[in-house]
Amino acid sequence: MRPIAYLLLAAISLLGAVAAETRPHYGGTLRVMLQSAPSALDLPANATPAEYWDLSRTLSLIGNTLVRIDAQGRPQPALAVAWQSDASASHWQFTLRRGVKFHDGSAASPAAIAQILGALHSGWNVRAVADSITIESAPPLPSLLAELALPRNLALKRNANGAPPVGTGPFLVAEWQPSQFLKLAANEESWEGRPFVDAVEIEFGKAQRDQAIALELGKTDVIEEAPQSASGSQPHSTSSVSLPTELLALVFPVNSRANDPRLREALALAINRKPIQSVLLKGAGEPAASILPNWMTGFSAVFSAQANAQEARILLADSHQPAPNLTCELSYDPRDPQAQLIAERIALNAREVGITVQVSLSGAEDIRLVRVVLPSPDPATSLGEAARQLGLPQPAFSATAGGDTLEDLYQTERSLLEAHAVIPLFHLPVATAEGARVRDWSPERRGQWSASRLSLADFWLSDLRSTASRADLPGQAGSR
Amino acid sequence: MNRPPSATRYNQRIPHMRARTFSGRGLGWLSSFMLVTVFLPSFLSASPLSDTARQLAHKIAAASGPGAFALEFTNRSSLDEKSAREVRGALEAQLHVEGVHIAKPEQATGLVEVVLSESLRNYVWTAVIAIGSDEKKVALVSLPRPPTGAAVAPVMPIAVKTALLFAQEQPMLDVALVEMPGGLRLIVLGSDAVSIYDRQGASPSGNSIGRWELETSLPITHARPFPRDLRGRLLQRRDHLFDVYLPGIVCHSTPNAVAPLNLACSETDDPWPLTPDDSVRAFYASTRNFFTGALSPGIGKISNVPSFYAAAAFQRTNYTLWAFAAVDGSLHLVDGVTDQAIRGASLKWGSDLAAVRSNCGAGTQLVVSESDDTAHETLRDIGHDSLLAFEIPDRDPVAVSAAAEFDGQITALWPDSAGNGATAVVRKKDTGWYEAYRVSLTCGN
Repeated sequence: MRPIAYLLLAAISLLGAVAAETRPHYGGTLRVMLQSAPSALDLPANATPAEYWDLSRTLSLIGNTLVRIDAQGRPQPALAVAWQSDASASHWQFTLRRGVKFHDGSAASPAAIAQILGALHSGWNVRAVADSITIESAPPLPSLLAELALPRNLALKRNANGAPPVGTGPFLVAEWQPSQFLKLAANEESWEGRPFVDAVEIEFGKAQRDQAIALELGKTDVIEEAPQSASGSQPHSTSSVSLPTELLALVFPVNSRANDPRLREALALAINRKPIQSVLLKGAGEPAASILPNWMTGFSAVFSAQANAQEARILLADSHQPAPNLTCELSYDPRDPQAQLIAERIALNAREVGITVQVSLSGAEDIRLVRVVLPSPDPATSLGEAARQLGLPQPAFSATAGGDTLEDLYQTERSLLEAHAVIPLFHLPVATAEGARVRDWSPERRGQWSASRLSLADFWLSDLRSTASRADLPGQAGSR
Repeated sequence: MNRPPSATRYNQRIPHMRARTFSGRGLGWLSSFMLVTVFLPSFLSASPLSDTARQLAHKIAAASGPGAFALEFTNRSSLDEKSAREVRGALEAQLHVEGVHIAKPEQATGLVEVVLSESLRNYVWTAVIAIGSDEKKVALVSLPRPPTGAAVAPVMPIAVKTALLFAQEQPMLDVALVEMPGGLRLIVLGSDAVSIYDRQGASPSGNSIGRWELETSLPITHARPFPRDLRGRLLQRRDHLFDVYLPGIVCHSTPNAVAPLNLACSETDDPWPLTPDDSVRAFYASTRNFFTGALSPGIGKISNVPSFYAAAAFQRTNYTLWAFAAVDGSLHLVDGVTDQAIRGASLKWGSDLAAVRSNCGAGTQLVVSESDDTAHETLRDIGHDSLLAFEIPDRDPVAVSAAAEFDGQITALWPDSAGNGATAVVRKKDTGWYEAYRVSLTCGN
């Protein structure tokens, strides 16, 4: 080689590596910021949507479920490698993956898994049989696979003294400061393979505005975003918006004074969802008159979300409950930044047809503006979960293991809505943003961070040099 | 990156329906006659869309009873306009057969609102039937949606030529075409099995290439978990059919004369061959996605190079030049005496490379993967990897082809056993399916 060529190569080598690697790198620490500030690593049944997403995403890095649901909505093996049920879906058998261990070194044996699931579901009879577990239930469980894929069914060992949970997942708990900070370390023995990053540091209790600033300054890698802000406006980040996985709705408590169905139906017809979507939600979400979004069922168009003030007035005229004599108190979640404005807009629409609605956070509530999570792509499972969160009766489906027929699902949802205890308003997505050095990852379309091939454990960091750990950030030194 | 569902789309009015809308009674009869005589036969042909449309028509007719109905038809699904027209045609034809006649709103006794929609897995078509002021009735049908795969990436006409060999939903680590008794076979290395496919329906003239059908599947068992970015190598052998190299595992097939074919696997950290003739081997890190850098035997005096993802050899006049794609993003050129590292902004190579003999130019080129890194920087869609051919005339790589772009990420790139091509596996961006391509180089561009 000519000397000049060597000089050229030497000069090039000084520029540093900026190669466009296509294969994942190992190493580095991922920094995540989340809104909620949980005092325990546990998913409470009454979690707010923010708590649900934050905790389910976090716990899914620590533990595994028996099965998982893929991007097409099909069950896939996880801790269980095979399963079968009887024709009535009352008796299920799951063959467990061999050789899986909890982070404490103990075997994820059928007995251990059966004990965890049995404690979570008192109505199930869960038993360990050889290399399998069986689940029996008097009411049939046609949607059991979707249920088992929910984060609440993660196989996590818990201690009575409040210590962090122990799972079988890609990361194990290295440090936990309740409500503030969680450090997860890569599980070298993960049955899915070691994650590419060495660690994940999660800071809790960060407002979305603070998260956005930290991402822009390169002090964090993954944040939550409001869907209406997820336009990729930040120069060095990428936004990901899920399918609509939340329902914003009005719900009438049992003791509501607005108990005439015609009054409730008139209110549903009075609400003009389009301006709320375009102005207050800045185009995010979909106007809804159904509990389940269209991507789950395909038939949401059957439930009209069109406002019809004229029909609302006719209904009011027939109502047993003279609207002018009743002032309905509408409450909302003050932690939801959009809720108050949306509630006030609904009150305005109601007044236009002659219903007096007062937005208030005190006193007896007649109507509540709520946001609920639709946690599963399985419509039957999400409908049941929505009913639970909305305080509606549990829907009853036909008891077949093959899943519910379209007609059955439609009739069940329709019967829930015909009781006029809930007025669906919008189906809303969730959004995240990740910095430029996060590679090969985007949250799966249902908002979770743990789906097969879309897990946080599957991404990698393209730049391992500029990781400023939490202790290096201003105001954080010595906090641990 | 995930995106919200596409905006609602509405069909254009269909010309022959517009004619009906504006025609008088005579024209209505004529168009009905035309519908039955001209369109009906094609709609009666078996097609899942038409069949399902007829099911929906049957349900509508059962709910409405015979009579004249106005029809509103909206396509909010991913069906293209041609398919939506097919559905509408089949629906109207079947409605006609069942005594439901489409009429203008002012002449109709009711309204049927049909919406073509879809869920995650199915097309879902709804019909809301309103008769007078009575309660509305609803009819629903569904049929599975096909995978939303786009067309196969077009063959690049310049220098890097790609031809689709096989596609499947499960990951593929390596693929090989092998002549066996009875004809050509496709061997696919997956994460838990080696699958052998036989070609069915191929014509001797070559006019029809046929399709691959699974002949046998040989399971690979392993006690230790595989790494996440699993890589594997399928190597054809002279004394037996093939060997399989996976992290921590080596499998040997039984000789091809022995039936049935079997696979014997053992857990071992034996080095993987880097060349078809086994002249150089390298140790693979069994819990990672790269070679450790230890060579066995070494290349001349050099027995250790930095950890690398891929290696390729060029035969020069007096020596063999080796190129290593190192884990740190650099390229190492090793000639047996020196180990020269090339780094820098000018080298935007990916992690995979393979030497391919083309008999044009320098005779052998380096086919290199490249990720769409600039897309990431500019927030455009990422995940469109490409392949380029390079030559190294004086240890300075020079691109000799345009990029052959794939609609997804290249997850594997290995040279074939003859050395005149390579196999690339691409994970499709839209469907997540894996596609195996044979990569070759053509001259004269």
